[in-house]
Amino acid sequence: MKTGLSTSLILHAAAIAFGLVTLAAPKAHDAGEVQAFPVDMVTPEEFSQAMQGDKTASVKEKPAPKPTERKDAVLDARNVGENEVDLEDVPKPVAKPVKVETAAAPKVEPAPKPDPKPVEVKQPEPKPEPVAQPEPAPKPEPAPKPDPIAEAITAEATPQENLDFPAELPRPEARPEPPKPAVAKVEEPKKPEKQPEKQAEKKPEKPARETAKAPKQEDLEALTEEVAALLDKRAPAGGGAKRSEQQAAIGTDKPSKAEKLSVSEMDAMRQRLGQCWSIPAGVDDAALLKVSVRFRLDRSGELEARPEVIRGGGSSGAARTAAESAVRAVSKCAPFNLPADKYETWSEVVVNFDPSDMF
Amino acid sequence: MEPLASAVSGGELSIWELFWQAGLIVKLVMIGLLGASVWTWAIIIDKTISYNRMRAALNRFEQIFWSGQSLEELYRTLADRKTNGMGSIFVAAMREWKKSFEKGARTPLGLQTRIDKAMDLALTREMERLEGRLGFLATIGSAGPFIGLFGTVIGIMTSFQAIAGSKSTSLAVVAPGIAEALLATAIGLLAAIPAVIAYNKLSSDAGKLGARMEGFADEFSAILSRQIDEKVAQKA
Repeated sequence: MKTGLSTSLILHAAAIAFGLVTLAAPKAHDAGEVQAFPVDMVTPEEFSQAMQGDKTASVKEKPAPKPTERKDAVLDARNVGENEVDLEDVPKPVAKPVKVETAAAPKVEPAPKPDPKPVEVKQPEPKPEPVAQPEPAPKPEPAPKPDPIAEAITAEATPQENLDFPAELPRPEARPEPPKPAVAKVEEPKKPEKQPEKQAEKKPEKPARETAKAPKQEDLEALTEEVAALLDKRAPAGGGAKRSEQQAAIGTDKPSKAEKLSVSEMDAMRQRLGQCWSIPAGVDDAALLKVSVRFRLDRSGELEARPEVIRGGGSSGAARTAAESAVRAVSKCAPFNLPADKYETWSEVVVNFDPSDMF
Repeated sequence: MEPLASAVSGGELSIWELFWQAGLIVKLVMIGLLGASVWTWAIIIDKTISYNRMRAALNRFEQIFWSGQSLEELYRTLADRKTNGMGSIFVAAMREWKKSFEKGARTPLGLQTRIDKAMDLALTREMERLEGRLGFLATIGSAGPFIGLFGTVIGIMTSFQAIAGSKSTSLAVVAPGIAEALLATAIGLLAAIPAVIAYNKLSSDAGKLGARMEGFADEFSAILSRQIDEKVAQKA
C-alpha cells in the first residue's frame, strides 16, 4: 500500500503543478471597445416634412445656386493637371499665366524709364555751364547757384519723404520671388531694369509725384497693393466654388410642424356635412348625386366665398339640384370647428358628396 | 506559491486563486475530494501491482503443482513461507490433512469435509485480500460527483449572496464566484471518473482470479478425496 500511496501522491502533486502552469489563468477574451451611437427612427412623413422649405424665409430673386460640377477625370491620366485631356507636357498651363503677366508688367515700366534719364542728364548739364562761363555777366552765375540750393533743398526734402516709400515699395519685390524658378527666363532680364528704375525714381521723379500724391498716403498703399497684385506671378489658385450660404429656400405653405388632419377629425367633418346635407328627393340615378365641392375657409372656420362645384352638377335638373343641395349643405354647416394649428391643411377643402359614402 | 498568488491576485483567475477565494465549506469539499482522489489512485496502483503479482504467483504455483512433484515435498517447502493465493489454499488443505493423519484419525469420513472447509476459509481470506478497498473506489465513483456538486451549490449560493450585496449584475462580478464554485465539481469528477473505471476493471480482475483459485480448490479437493479413498482402501 505504501508504494501505491506514495506513487499516487507524487502523481497528484505533478498533475496539480502541471495544471497550475497550463490552466493557470486563461487569457481574457478580447472584447474590444464597442461604442454605441444613437439611432432615431424617422418615418417617411417626418422626413418629407423636414425636407420642406421654411415658410418664413424671405423671397430672393436669385435661384438656388447650382452645385459645382467637377470635370470628368481621365481615369488613367499620367499627368495631373487642369486639362481635360491627358497631355504629355504638363508645364504648359503654368506658362500661360506667366506670359500674360509679363505683358502687363512692362507697360508700367517703359513710362518711368524715359523720365529719369532726361532728368539725370539735365542735372549735370547745368553744373558744367557755370564752369564754362565764369567770365560773362554775373547774371548767369546767380542763376546756377539757386539751382544747386534748390536741388539740395529738394534732395534734402525728398529723402525725408522717401523714407515712406522704401517701406512700402519693397513689398511687390518680395512677393513675386517664390515663382522665380518657374519663370526664371522671363524674370531675369527684368530685375536689372527694375533696380535702376527705383534708384532713378526715388530722386528725380518723386518730387513731381509728391506734389500730386504725397498727401494721400492711403492711395499710395492701395496703389502699391494693386502693383503687388499685378506683380504676383503665382498661378491663380484653384478650389471649388463656394457653396451658397444663403437662407433656406422658400417652401410650401405648410409649416414643418403641420400635420395632416387626423382621420377622426376628417371623419367628424364628413359626418357634420352629412347631417347638413338634405339629399334631394326623387332622384333615381344615384350617380347624379355625386358632387365635388371646393371651398376656402378662413382661420375662424367661416366660408371665405361661396362654395364652388368642381365635379358633378350637370345641366339636367336633378344634377343641378344635387349640386345646389351640396353647396347649401356647406354653407349651412359653415363655421367649421377645426384645429387652428392645422389651418394650412384645411384652408382649402374639397368635399365629395356621395350618398353611398356619406352615410 | 502564496507570494506569487498574492502578487498575481486582483482579477486573475488562476486555479490557485479560485481555490483560495472559495469559502470554507467549498474549500473543505475540495480538499476532501482531492484526498479521495489521492487515495483512489493509491488503491488503483496498489491493486494493479498486487493482482499482477497474484497472477504470476498462480501461474508459478500451477506450474509447480502439476509438474509431478510430490505433495509432501511441496508442502514442506511452502509451510514455512508466507504464501498467497493457491499456495495458501494448498497449505491450509495439507495442514488439515497432516493433522488428521498424524494424530491418527479414526474415520476418514469427516476428513473430507474438514479439508473442504479449511480450503473454503483460505479462499475466502484470499478473496477478501483481493477485493479489499475496491468498495472505496465504488463509493468515490458514485458519490464523488455528488460531493463536488454539493460544493458547487454551496459556492454558487454564497457567491450569489455576495453579488446581491454588491448590487451589480456585471458579468465580471458574477463570473469569478461561479468559476470558483465549479472548481469543486471539476475536482469531484476528476476523482470519480478514474475510480469508476478502475473499480470495474479491478473487480472483474478479482473475479477472474477468485474463479481460478476456486477451480484449483475444487481440483485439489478431488485429488485429496481420491487419496483418502485410497488410504481407506489400504487400511481395509
